[in-house]
Amino acid sequence: MGLDPADETERTPAPGDPRMRLAALRAQLAPPVDGRAPRPVLPLGLPALDAHLPGGGLVLGPPHEIAPAGPADGVAALGFALALCALHLSRVSGEALIAAAPGEPLPYGHGLASLGLDPGRLLLLEAGSDAEVFRALEAALHARALAALVGLLRDGLPLKPGRRLQIAAEGPDPPLLLLLRPAQAGMPNGAATRWRIAAAPASRDRFGTLDRPRWRARLERCRNGRGGDWLLEWDHAAHRLHLPEPLAGDAAAPSRSRA
Amino acid sequence: MAVAAEGPGGLRLVALDPEALALGLRPGEPLGRVRARIGVPLRVHPADPAADRDSLLRLCRWAGGYAPLVAPFGPAEATDGLYIDVAGASHLRGGEAKLVDDLAARLARGNIPARIALADTPGGAFALARHGGADRIVVPPGGAAEALRGLPVEALRLDPGAVAGLKRLGLRGIGALDALPRGPLARRFGEALLLRLDQALARRPEPLAPLTEAADHAAARGFLDPIGRQSDIVRTARDLMADLAPRLERDGLGACALRLALHRVDGAVRTLDLGLSRPERCPERVAALVSLRLDRLGSGLDAGFGFETVALAVTVTGAMPARQTDLGANSGGDGVGGDGVGFLADALAQRLGRALLRLEPRASHLPERGERGVLWVAGEGPGSSADQGIGRLRARLPPPSEGEGGPRRGSGEGSDVSGCSVTLMKAGAPSCTVAPLSPPAAQGTLPRRGGREMRGSDSSLASPWPDHLPPRPLVLFPRGEAACDVLSTVPEGPPRRFRWRAQIHRVAHVEGPERIAAEWWREPGEPRDYYRVECEAGHRLWLYRDGPHAPDRPAAWYVHGLFA
Repeated sequence: MGLDPADETERTPAPGDPRMRLAALRAQLAPPVDGRAPRPVLPLGLPALDAHLPGGGLVLGPPHEIAPAGPADGVAALGFALALCALHLSRVSGEALIAAAPGEPLPYGHGLASLGLDPGRLLLLEAGSDAEVFRALEAALHARALAALVGLLRDGLPLKPGRRLQIAAEGPDPPLLLLLRPAQAGMPNGAATRWRIAAAPASRDRFGTLDRPRWRARLERCRNGRGGDWLLEWDHAAHRLHLPEPLAGDAAAPSRSRA
Repeated sequence: MAVAAEGPGGLRLVALDPEALALGLRPGEPLGRVRARIGVPLRVHPADPAADRDSLLRLCRWAGGYAPLVAPFGPAEATDGLYIDVAGASHLRGGEAKLVDDLAARLARGNIPARIALADTPGGAFALARHGGADRIVVPPGGAAEALRGLPVEALRLDPGAVAGLKRLGLRGIGALDALPRGPLARRFGEALLLRLDQALARRPEPLAPLTEAADHAAARGFLDPIGRQSDIVRTARDLMADLAPRLERDGLGACALRLALHRVDGAVRTLDLGLSRPERCPERVAALVSLRLDRLGSGLDAGFGFETVALAVTVTGAMPARQTDLGANSGGDGVGGDGVGFLADALAQRLGRALLRLEPRASHLPERGERGVLWVAGEGPGSSADQGIGRLRARLPPPSEGEGGPRRGSGEGSDVSGCSVTLMKAGAPSCTVAPLSPPAAQGTLPRRGGREMRGSDSSLASPWPDHLPPRPLVLFPRGEAACDVLSTVPEGPPRRFRWRAQIHRVAHVEGPERIAAEWWREPGEPRDYYRVECEAGHRLWLYRDGPHAPDRPAAWYVHGLFA
């Protein structure tokens, strides 16, 4: 066998320790497999939820897909997305962009206060089609100037734009990227998580009036994580998500109010 | 061949070609009489003034290659033509005579019959071009009076009545007119006659209404070989901006709007207008925007055989203090507040043709009039630099009640408004803005409202949005959508069940009413009673009844919004 001496000398230090060699090889191979440094995440502040998400929160950068459970739950899904947006904006400085396909309802400025979102930190773009929404989001991702991006889609996220968004989101300091799509079954795409949101009766305060919005949130798909099903309550003043306690403030408990 | 248009008493001839003129036809004749008079068949085209105007403007833009100031003929001239102010530009073509020759040759190549005159004044040039003896006349400086002496008075751009009057008096030439004492002329024919005479003879200045304002900052580049590739155009734009940048910097200005004119070989001119959200003089950014715009145009920008001249003009400038541009250009502008967003706004405007909007509250209690989207402008509006900018923004934001209302607060708000931005309230109608019906909603001091403070932790500082409104829906429909089959326990009470969007909604919980009166100073309308309703399925809706309940008139219910 014509092994040359250089090869021989390289082999000699660890011939009898395959484990060390394996570890060295792993270390060599790890970065491309594992991704770069752990990506920044947006912790939702609930251990029960964050345990299901890789990295302990919604990963910033790749798109997250939010779909209503039924055709009537579109506003609940929008509310959930904007609540996540408000949660993120309460932690970082910067503005959020909402790019809406035609026909998708844009939020009402006076109603944003009840979600804890400052309308002054919101930019709107009325796009002409889903493709324009993707282009706008991609440009925003490249510009690296905004803290959160929300796309309201008419049809959904196909694979190719999803991949493009994923690539555009790579880099330091990515924003939170949420995509709202209609309730129909979606196509496979590169979304990091997929949520299904349904409306739920709101919590009541001690006087029996509507207090905090609640949503039934199902984590349908989560890359490197587990799915789950929760009833979430949004506290707009503290910018916190809650899991409502089983007994207190149960919406079903108070009988129908008299007007 | 003739062109006819609708005139007094039916179709009349407007324009004629030489053959038709040779037949003895004249513009203005009724078409019917012409058809009866001449035996030969006449091809008649309907007149298209808009297309005529368009092609004249196209010609004007083309003539911009000779001098920046080009003005098409207006109503005073009543014919087709254009003025070119070649003052200071004729030497570029080797003198006035050569310029006129060049112009005539090019027009002849384009099959445009033209008469060209070059004189000291627009009036003189017009008179010579229209009524002078030759097709090409160049009057030496100061020779206008001499050259005009023999021309008829029609050459002075007078209205036909004045011309007829002058001719009746035997005044046929400009020379004869000029020899008369001015006082009686003015008394008889008005000041307009003397004005036109003076303008033609350079005694009074005549401002032209140019097609485009000559830009203070402009640069152009010509090419021996026409360019057609997008990358070449972008690079040329970058180079031109690099030429302009030092001049802008010296003046302390930045470009807020740019116009890129691409002169095609065949004479067509394509202009691209680029709007910028804030003053800019960085060549790379301008080039990036041009590139995005060309991306969007795609094949819409028909390069044909290529562009021979590319001109970049700054049409709108804005003050821009000296600042380093090179480092910020490529880093995405994260460090400077609002910079990246500004560039994003420009990029979206060029790439999609759509503008970034920002929501702004309006001083109106009607929900659908309570906000509007305004164009996002860099450095204006909250959040361009989130933390440090608040104090500055507060000082700069105009008080939101610039509308009809004064700063006085409406009587309906009562005790609700302690510490809130009261200026937002439209108090011009003191009795009838919002009069909340139910006592709990009217009294801000009740514990019920105390438990639901509606301010975000950081947004309450400088936000122009009122934070004392009762809850508003997350999505508001532009107009209410009718809810049918409304069933309620008491006639004037809230619904218990209704159908909306082909679905039955059973009401589980009701809050309200909140009465919002119509803005009677705009249009009459019924006051609306708004209810916040939660259905058994968990959907929260904003319903209103249009007008009060009356026995003879069933209440109409509408869904106006949805809560999150």
